[in-house]
Amino acid sequence: MPVVEVDPDELRELAGAEDKPDAELKADLFSLGLEFEGETESGGFELEFAPDRLDRLSVEGIARSLRYQYGHDRGVYVPETNDAEWAIEVDESVPEERPYVTGAVVRGLDLDESRLESLIQLQEKLHATMGRGRAKGAIGVHDLAMLKGRRAVDGADGTDATDATKTITYRGVAPDGDRFVPLDDDAERTPAEVLETHPTGDEYADLVEGLDRYPAIYDDIGLFSFPPVINGARTEVDEGSRDLLVEMTGTDQWTIDRMLAIVCYALDARGGRIEEVDVRYGDRQLRRPDLSTSRKRVAHDRIERTLGIDVPGTEVVDLLERAGLDAAPADGGKRDRGVPEDAPDPDAPDDVALEAVPSRTDGPDTALGGTDPASGDATGGDATQPSTDGELIYEVEIPPYRVDVLHPADVVDDVGRAYGFNDLEPTYPNVSTVGGRHASSRLEDAARDALVGLGFEDLLNFHMTNEAELFDRMGLAPGDDALGASDPPTITEPYSEAYTVVRTWALPSLLMVLENNTHRAYPQDLAEIGLVAGVDPEEPTGVEEHRSVAGALARTDASYEDAKARLQALADAFGASLSTPPTTHPSFIDGRAAEVVLDGESVGVVGELHPKVLVEHDLELPVAAFEFRLDGLR
Amino acid sequence: MKLPETQLALLEATGATDRTPVEPLAEELGEDPAAITRAAFELEAAGLVDVEERAVEDVALTEEGERYREAGLPELRLRAAAAEAGADDSPAEMGRLVGQSGLEGPEVDIALSNLARKGYGEIDGGAIALGEDPRYDPEADPEAAALESVAAGEADAVATDVLDRLESRGLIERTETTARSVTLTDEGVTALMEGVEAAETVGAVTPELLTSGEWSEVEFTEYNVEADAETVNGGKTHILRQTANRVKDVLVGMGFREMEGPHADADFWINDCLFMPQDHPARTHWDRFALDVPPMAELPADLLERVEDAHRNGVGSEGDGYHSPWDADFARAVALRGHTTSLSMRYLSGQAAGDLEPPERYFSVEKVYRNDTLDPTHLLEFFQIEGWVMAEELSVRDLMGTFTEFYEQFGITDLEFKPHYNPYTEPSFELFGRHPETDELIEIGNSGIFREEVLSPLGVECDVMAWGLALERLLMLMYGFEDIRDVHGTLCDLDLLRNVEVVY
Repeated sequence: MPVVEVDPDELRELAGAEDKPDAELKADLFSLGLEFEGETESGGFELEFAPDRLDRLSVEGIARSLRYQYGHDRGVYVPETNDAEWAIEVDESVPEERPYVTGAVVRGLDLDESRLESLIQLQEKLHATMGRGRAKGAIGVHDLAMLKGRRAVDGADGTDATDATKTITYRGVAPDGDRFVPLDDDAERTPAEVLETHPTGDEYADLVEGLDRYPAIYDDIGLFSFPPVINGARTEVDEGSRDLLVEMTGTDQWTIDRMLAIVCYALDARGGRIEEVDVRYGDRQLRRPDLSTSRKRVAHDRIERTLGIDVPGTEVVDLLERAGLDAAPADGGKRDRGVPEDAPDPDAPDDVALEAVPSRTDGPDTALGGTDPASGDATGGDATQPSTDGELIYEVEIPPYRVDVLHPADVVDDVGRAYGFNDLEPTYPNVSTVGGRHASSRLEDAARDALVGLGFEDLLNFHMTNEAELFDRMGLAPGDDALGASDPPTITEPYSEAYTVVRTWALPSLLMVLENNTHRAYPQDLAEIGLVAGVDPEEPTGVEEHRSVAGALARTDASYEDAKARLQALADAFGASLSTPPTTHPSFIDGRAAEVVLDGESVGVVGELHPKVLVEHDLELPVAAFEFRLDGLR
Repeated sequence: MKLPETQLALLEATGATDRTPVEPLAEELGEDPAAITRAAFELEAAGLVDVEERAVEDVALTEEGERYREAGLPELRLRAAAAEAGADDSPAEMGRLVGQSGLEGPEVDIALSNLARKGYGEIDGGAIALGEDPRYDPEADPEAAALESVAAGEADAVATDVLDRLESRGLIERTETTARSVTLTDEGVTALMEGVEAAETVGAVTPELLTSGEWSEVEFTEYNVEADAETVNGGKTHILRQTANRVKDVLVGMGFREMEGPHADADFWINDCLFMPQDHPARTHWDRFALDVPPMAELPADLLERVEDAHRNGVGSEGDGYHSPWDADFARAVALRGHTTSLSMRYLSGQAAGDLEPPERYFSVEKVYRNDTLDPTHLLEFFQIEGWVMAEELSVRDLMGTFTEFYEQFGITDLEFKPHYNPYTEPSFELFGRHPETDELIEIGNSGIFREEVLSPLGVECDVMAWGLALERLLMLMYGFEDIRDVHGTLCDLDLLRNVEVVY
């Protein structure tokens, strides 16, 4: 889970809670879902949070949530935007793997050290989460004063003479096709050189390496950004920067637009003025940033049902406003969904009518229009009629930084959070079901009980191991005709040499435990019933899985008989007939190994382990052992 | 005749006519009185002696009694102070008298009540006048005399009613013991005259001793029963399995049925059915154990289609999909499951146990695999407890109630719910509880109500809620282990497993 570093004093100031003590602040944050992880050296709070509310990746966003919680703000807020002065032109040379771009200009910022740090952290965290490590979306922030936009020349390239926008271009460039001075560098480099020599270049090289042309952003002076890798030093933002260009590029338009919205809200909270940018693709033109709100219709009944409470309509609207949303009862489908987002709703009822909303305990007879005098009003009456299917539905307006709202359930969650889930009384679901164990786990338990009854120490070992442990150190090869010799399911990209395959048999695990416990008292009678697996194309998953029963007796006088005696006791306990015809197995002493045959089926092996295996495992005493398929006991 | 040593010693020491008391005899022989008493009864059973019992009363002063013996009974002290203050003429003020007599605390009330009872004084309105007709002569108070007698060991010289009074005042303690004494019978005398030998003591009880009857004639060597015995390591179920079984018991008791299913499974069941976008960070190779086997061909085609539709377009008229790529091959890729929710998906889809109708409750306590770094609190494979409930209507309160009930069984109460996020549940909660010992607030689980985007493609039209917790976490809470690697896995310490307390 991502961790964000936040200055608690800045947070208090932005949230309008200057005097709130630390403990209370932490509790408020906890109820928002932000867990306090610790303090940094400089006294900053480290907050862990869940990646649904990416707007909280900065102190500005967290403060906004707190302001809503404290009641300083209510309802949807959308920053105002000024008309575009800049445009981003998308050239057809742009690599088709990363074709999308978006942007905004933010003016009038007063950036001090902490605000700049907050912006950089927001950028980083957005990259890590929504940006999928910059693969999906990459953010570039530039000092606008250092950019020279290309102005349209009258009549040239068919542009309108009155078009006064300054243009920058998002295009593709050959890996060694141009040079620029990257951030944290002092010499001009080609993009290819950046990938090779610059540490950031090395980190993100795999995002662009396979492309014919690398993404690049140009102004009239030249190349100033190489997304998703690094910006140029020329447009570096510092505390003196007042106007910024924020651009984002990537593989999905919606994603980068949302990331941009979050950044715009954060900068707006710092007093920045948002200015639109024209994004000109070959076939279409977009106005960005897209700060439009979205809408979801949510049934009142769903809210009550999910939260398990009766809640009047006025309270629902209040809670949603406290969550930074806006809500009003829908008029049953008559509303035109194309209405612009900031147009007043002519059908919106006043609060009095909302109080007459029936809750789920009211019967249909107490529905609106009965005894409530306010409902006699003609306009109010229409709007308070529930929709045609008899239930109240809210139309909820959602601000653009809410990337997590996919479904009405997400709005219900907001109602619950504003209400305070901890304030709900738990109930026990009034449905009865009959419980029980699965037959296969009952068999396993019965076999384990029998082993423990015979004095075995029951072990729980890892299922993952490596080929050396599984085969080499047991004197076995995967191609042998012996128990355990089969193709193990292999992990595609293991990170540790110790864990590269899933085990095909369990005895190697017992040997490893014996090896690690030579300093513990003997006798050591160890057993395990656990998963073993093998590659098998006949299986739907391609992997065959079953439970194996393994036992090892390590004692100064361990002999074949000891192992067989216990095996016999096990078989007897399950009413299975046991026979042990001789066999050979590379891990066992020749002439002292046998097949385990239960009820006529060959299911395993029993014998005295070969000295080469014992010595390999640093053991200085004999070990008698057995292993067989658990379902042989059925 | 042969007799065990102790019996022989007793027989020889017993006089024929005199009653030989057992206590002094035991001291003389240097034996435990209980052993001598036992021997006496054995001899009596053999007809060689008679044992007489007498109840003996032992009287002793209590601590309070001792104090009053030295300082004087409180009522006498009070009376003396009153006399000195001339209370025979006119009543003296009580407070002054109490102060002068040096009485403190409860002694004051004791003095006053006994003063009145014995007629030594009359108390009226905070003043005391000397009694004109006392019951006893203050100089010869029988209770005071009795205290001296008891101290001198002459309690039997004291009248019974006085002793009773002293006992009710808590100044003496009377205990009854049985004093036994032994005399020889005629047979006993004869046996002695004929000569009795001492039988040797015996070590091991053998079958021969039992069958020959010789056991009745021998004495058994006393063993040092306090000494440590050799260490015996019996068989034992692994502590984590014991905990798992306890959890399973609790869940079965709450009406949950156990699930079963593959450890290696298609990403479809593990993640896609759970509405996890295919480019979710947890689905990269950094977090999961992809296996080198061909993609799973056998996925129900219509379900695959519905899940893809949910990812792309959301579910319902108000649902939105993900802006993430969808690749059916990735859905088919096989990996070791990162959570047992893959089983829940198989069951909810109807694949594992047929179509399910509400109400249903299912659980699993089985292994999952995550590509974490191995350290004292993290393993690459661990046990996950997973439970879900399907019913026509469920609310978050039902969710809270179910696991409140569950955790109570483990002594974890006062749960707190932190709103949380999972791609597949909404609302979601992290559960926090108080550590039974450190009282620290710690995370003990994750839970939520499944999203419509999960349930609708599976064909589930009612509500399903679920929660989960790592079993190792519960174990660490219950036992306070510091390094989970000592317990779970091939790096375990055998002695730790052998010595750990059982779970019940």
